Amino acid sequence: MEIAYPVGLVVVAAAIIIGFTALVREKDDLQRILLVDLAEVLGLVLIALVATDLAEALILPGLVVGISELLAVSEVYIAREGLKEPTGPAFRLEVMESAPGILALILVAHGIILSGFTGGAIAAVGAVFYFMCRGHNEQFELIETVSGYAWAIWIAAFLIFMFLPQYWFFGVMMAGGAILVKVMAKMSLVGTMRRGGPDV
Amino acid sequence: MFNLPTPHIGGPELFVLEFGDIVAYFSPYTALLFAFAVLFTVLVIVSRPERQVDIAFGGDAYYTKEVDPDLLRFQRFMAIACGLATLGAMVTGDVFNFTLFASMIGITNIGIVAAYRNRHVLNAAFQYGIVAMLATVPLFGGAAIILSSTGTLSMWELFGGAVAVPLIAKAFLVLGVMGEGMAPFYIAKAEITRAQGAPFILMVHVSSLLLFLRVMEIVISM
Repeated sequence: MEIAYPVGLVVVAAAIIIGFTALVREKDDLQRILLVDLAEVLGLVLIALVATDLAEALILPGLVVGISELLAVSEVYIAREGLKEPTGPAFRLEVMESAPGILALILVAHGIILSGFTGGAIAAVGAVFYFMCRGHNEQFELIETVSGYAWAIWIAAFLIFMFLPQYWFFGVMMAGGAILVKVMAKMSLVGTMRRGGPDV
Repeated sequence: MFNLPTPHIGGPELFVLEFGDIVAYFSPYTALLFAFAVLFTVLVIVSRPERQVDIAFGGDAYYTKEVDPDLLRFQRFMAIACGLATLGAMVTGDVFNFTLFASMIGITNIGIVAAYRNRHVLNAAFQYGIVAMLATVPLFGGAAIILSSTGTLSMWELFGGAVAVPLIAKAFLVLGVMGEGMAPFYIAKAEITRAQGAPFILMVHVSSLLLFLRVMEIVISM
């Protein structure tokens, strides 16, 4: 820690100098948005260098702020350039016709084995990929209902931790499974955004 | 239990609100700033947008400008959100929360300025957005350096004489707030071109002014 922190600070300072120099030299506005997003990561790196549990908790709000500012600036850019959504399918790739089934299956299976938040994210990537490639015509109410039940199970698991701590293993399993389903259900909605149905 | 260690800047604390280890407080100084922010937030909530008229040169003719109600509604929402973020930045007793509120003010300022469909104004909003995003690096960096060098983010600890906050962290904090509170310089474009939305644009100036006053108190007290 005593060595690593100053060394990390020096590296971050060098990276900040490089990033800001690039920003000064870059004239294209779209590229500048991307460069600014890269530079923003350095702020998170500075927090991460502290390397305590508190720093871990502080990274998430920092990340959220960065993403929301990026979204706001991108919206301004779109409005300023007068960009419109492309009509019709944006692009067609052979792999998007053939791969989704097997890839989604592998990712979802691997996610279920991992379980918990990480497993949910991995399984969700599979679901997102599937929905992006194959389109979607399922009922969103179903996904939302499943997600709601998963949330209730997650809360119930916490109640087990609090009131019946001797059944902690049961609680861990419930929480792991429920957070898996919940993260996956929420994230798979992202995959339905591209094909642009009437409800998106 | 709570005793603000530097009464010569903010005065003694008047009211303390505990959220776990994050303790929000009012001193006479921040209470004044808070009241100012409340006043302007209420003004934004109750006021009606101005209706503008353009005079045609060389004659008696004039034409009224169309104001899109959707854009105005968005702008008012952003102005109210900006007021709430300012209120939070005034009362918080935690350095990291202060930086979060400061960047929230930055985001809502982008929203207020971006609600125009004027290319010049959108250009200014874009440039401000870039600056506000860059400012989060020194802002969070300053908070992180404070945390790593003192081990705490609570202003109650930092304001005491026992902990020494490095100068670079203070400089980073001020630099970050300068970036987030830069909006009035960019708003000039909207005001010169007389874009609509007169009462809401006021919030940009108010939030920037209060943010600077508050960060001065924090940096001097540390």
